[in-house]
Amino acid sequence: MPGLAPGDSAGGVPDSVNGTLVPYSSDSHVSAIYPLRHGLNPPISRVSVSWGRGNSLRVSVFRQPDSDPKSDGEVGGRVVEVTLGKSRDGEISDAQWRKIAYGSVSPFALLQSRKNSTASLSRMQLSPSPYHLEWWEYVMEYSKDISSLLGDPKTALAPLIEDPNEVFPKKVEEPSSLKAAWELMEMFYVDKLSQAWLPERLVDWLADYDSLISIDLPTVHSKLVEFQNQIVTLQVIEDDPRYWDLISSALAVGWLEIVVKLLRLHGSYRLDQLGRRETENGLVEAVAVLISKMPRMRPAIDAGKIGECFKAKPDFVKAWERWRAQITKLDSSAFWVQCDHRQTREGLKNMLQIMLGNVDVLCSSTCHWMELYISHFLYIRPFTAGLESMYSLAQKCIRLKHTSNPHKLMRLMIGILGENNEVVLAECSRGFGTWMVAHAIELLTAGSNEADILVHEEREDLGGISLEELHRLVYAQLLSSHLLTWQIAPIYLTSCMRQGMGLLEILLLKQPVQENQMLLKNLEICRLYELDGISSHLMEISGMYHWKHGRKGCAVFWLQQAHDEVRLSRIASQLFDSVGKSISGESFKQWEGLIELLGSEGQLAGGLNFLHKYRDFKKCLQHAESRKDADAARQAVESLMSLMRNASTPQRFWLPILYDAVKLLSWDEGPLINVSQTNLLLNKLQELSVARLRPDFVEPELPTQALNHVRYSLGTNLGRAILGEL
Amino acid sequence: MEKSLTTLENGTTCSSWNYSGQRIATGSVDGTLSIFDSGDPASTSFKCTSKARVSESGVVKVVWIPPVFGDAVACIDGNGSLSLWEDLAEDAQAVEWKHCKSFQSNSAKVLDVQFGVFRTILKMVVAYSDGQVKVYELSNPLELKNWQLQAEFQNLTDSVAKSAKASCFSASISWNPQRGGGQELRFVLGFNSDTPQLNSSKVWEFDLDHQRWVPVGELALPEDRKDQVFSVAWAPNIGRPYEVIAVATHKGIALWHLGSNPDVQGRLAVERVALLSGYEAGFGKWNGI
Repeated sequence: MPGLAPGDSAGGVPDSVNGTLVPYSSDSHVSAIYPLRHGLNPPISRVSVSWGRGNSLRVSVFRQPDSDPKSDGEVGGRVVEVTLGKSRDGEISDAQWRKIAYGSVSPFALLQSRKNSTASLSRMQLSPSPYHLEWWEYVMEYSKDISSLLGDPKTALAPLIEDPNEVFPKKVEEPSSLKAAWELMEMFYVDKLSQAWLPERLVDWLADYDSLISIDLPTVHSKLVEFQNQIVTLQVIEDDPRYWDLISSALAVGWLEIVVKLLRLHGSYRLDQLGRRETENGLVEAVAVLISKMPRMRPAIDAGKIGECFKAKPDFVKAWERWRAQITKLDSSAFWVQCDHRQTREGLKNMLQIMLGNVDVLCSSTCHWMELYISHFLYIRPFTAGLESMYSLAQKCIRLKHTSNPHKLMRLMIGILGENNEVVLAECSRGFGTWMVAHAIELLTAGSNEADILVHEEREDLGGISLEELHRLVYAQLLSSHLLTWQIAPIYLTSCMRQGMGLLEILLLKQPVQENQMLLKNLEICRLYELDGISSHLMEISGMYHWKHGRKGCAVFWLQQAHDEVRLSRIASQLFDSVGKSISGESFKQWEGLIELLGSEGQLAGGLNFLHKYRDFKKCLQHAESRKDADAARQAVESLMSLMRNASTPQRFWLPILYDAVKLLSWDEGPLINVSQTNLLLNKLQELSVARLRPDFVEPELPTQALNHVRYSLGTNLGRAILGEL
Repeated sequence: MEKSLTTLENGTTCSSWNYSGQRIATGSVDGTLSIFDSGDPASTSFKCTSKARVSESGVVKVVWIPPVFGDAVACIDGNGSLSLWEDLAEDAQAVEWKHCKSFQSNSAKVLDVQFGVFRTILKMVVAYSDGQVKVYELSNPLELKNWQLQAEFQNLTDSVAKSAKASCFSASISWNPQRGGGQELRFVLGFNSDTPQLNSSKVWEFDLDHQRWVPVGELALPEDRKDQVFSVAWAPNIGRPYEVIAVATHKGIALWHLGSNPDVQGRLAVERVALLSGYEAGFGKWNGI
């Protein structure tokens, strides 16, 4: 979790302080957690710190304001962004990491939903259906899905002609330590079917990943690669001591095909040599045949590989003893005396010793303790079972081949063998990053009950969350820090019961709303996770943004979506201000449009109804005036009357409405308003005059003689109307 | 691996990021407010999109107003006056800063200002150099022009003992960054002044029944109550049963937990859980977290 970044002097306030685990040394000397390079010349006067998304920290560094006019070229400050925390393995590229991150989302989500349904089934105490798999099988599926993401496939072109000098097969994938670690976890914790063949599984694992187990020391793999390059230059391969050394090493770790291939490169196979070196060739071939018949305690062997497999222990034991007897017989045969070539004789004898399980020879043939460990499984103790015995054997091998700087894979291995769950978690996190620990926890808990308890226990010092939740939150924070991955963070956050939703809300609230597309995407996420409060808030921000920047229609739409009654009623009151004033053209259209948008529902129903009617009246009036249309004028009269009769029309608007209607009253073609209507209007006017005497009356902004003018017009109209009805 | 986002001009004194991290506002000694935008959310390089002259004396602090009230900032200048500026450009590309409101204060200088939102009402807390604290409320959520003074008090737990005019060098305010609308309205405030009682950080809560601000907690150990407080920060609560607040004094940064359940007198439980020391913090050099 991010700590507090120390600065020499600081100003400004951060947006969030995640103070759960704070790295804090009790010595007075504080070591820098992260040295920040900003490229500015001293003196630095202030530092301002602010959290961006997720783990990214934005630091503004200010220099002392320079009053010296000569130094124009100097910048006054710089803003840098730092992403804290170790995110991932340094070996993987950004694009590869993103691919892994995106790809692991569905397996993770699927596993979580299966976990939930299993839990709810067990709560309801229903027996699982016969189609229901065991839990470890689900985890195995999850593991396989993710494992397929981790390889980095190189496009390997299969050679058309097999090069006889090509000893080392070209790999289909570049091995990555992340995949190596994942397979280790899968092997030991999840794959129940192969628990019985664990040693053989490790042999295969080493064959794939021997290149990775040591950074500085040589391994069998590195020796092979080195020799591979020089095979072509060698005339007489069997004279070179490296050849025999290499064959022994490959034999010791069980790479039998490579051994046989190398053996067949022996000079005695050459057609011109065959006559003279018959015995030698015979011996070489005998050893090659023995190797290819080596019994192995495993169910099956891959195509192209050699050896004989046995599933049942008694069969294996029989074959093993027979095989050993054959080796011993060969070892003590008379033909060795007739073999002239010293290196061949010594080399082959060495190989026989390996096959007989001579510890000293095995030790000298292998470079790394892991290789020695594997050789024990192959030649000395093929029946090793149980983690305890595997662990003690491993410790013995480490003692024999001590290394000072163990590789992270090896440290993980020791943690797994030692059944030390804390170490396993720590090594996953330290060596392979947050992605690894967040996802591998599922493997760990499937295999070990103690791990399950450890990881699910709620801890006070973490604020009440479990280790599993903590690691998922840390991973989600990492995802949130990057623009291209923040959208997958919600899936992890929602699987965290305690603090996940809080962090998700913070993440969503920090998203910009200016662009419609982004906003719609964010609202969709809110809808998926039922975060109505957040979606209202985002819509409110969007509405206000549009309002302030002149897009009023858009604003009203978003505010309505957000059900923001407060702001909508304010907008409606602003619209009221236009009543009685002469507005025309664009502003009338806008005013009219807003009324339309606001609709007539909601808390302001009464007021909005009035506004609608008033708008209709104004429209008719405008029509009547512009086109001198009698029909329009009559319509205007209708709306006028309905306005004045309606109780929801506020009294303060009576005079403005009547003032507007003066044009109708003095219509050229004849009175539009009949006697009873005119009487009603006159009564209203009388009410108004009385109301004006009250102290709390608000005078509308109209010319001072407006009231009299209206009264005069009404009177005139009354006269004309009476005359018209006679 | 750090990445440079932008460079600032000579004379820039302060900066502040907006809520989404898309814009940064900076103030400089010549009184200019500059805004840097990143253009589109995918890019991480920022360019200066607008400048506005906001004061005659330099700008000392810039604070963004919550986005639901518009794109606006509050600027405190060298003379200690506070002004509000808003971006009201109609065109999507242009940025245009208009002045909305100035708060002049005759004698006292504004030291810090922070904004909080409570049920669609925007509240602004302003701390002055004479030890006074004022809380303003925005009348109309659509405009930033009309503010009403809602409360005025001093940073003391015992409200009766009002102190004489104090002289404060700096102040720090932090609101509870709550997301839901239903929680109580609270902020924490500390001073750096010569009047010891004003200094310690106190948590203030708005009592709806009596319509006034009451102190509900003091974030200082009894022996540290007179220490000057340089900066405070309230962490967002992501599901913890307590609140986390950081207070910086010359002894270092202290992390406090604030309980949620008030006792009989309405006070909340406070507990100091960590003290991070070891910084060479001198007076005025250490200014925040």
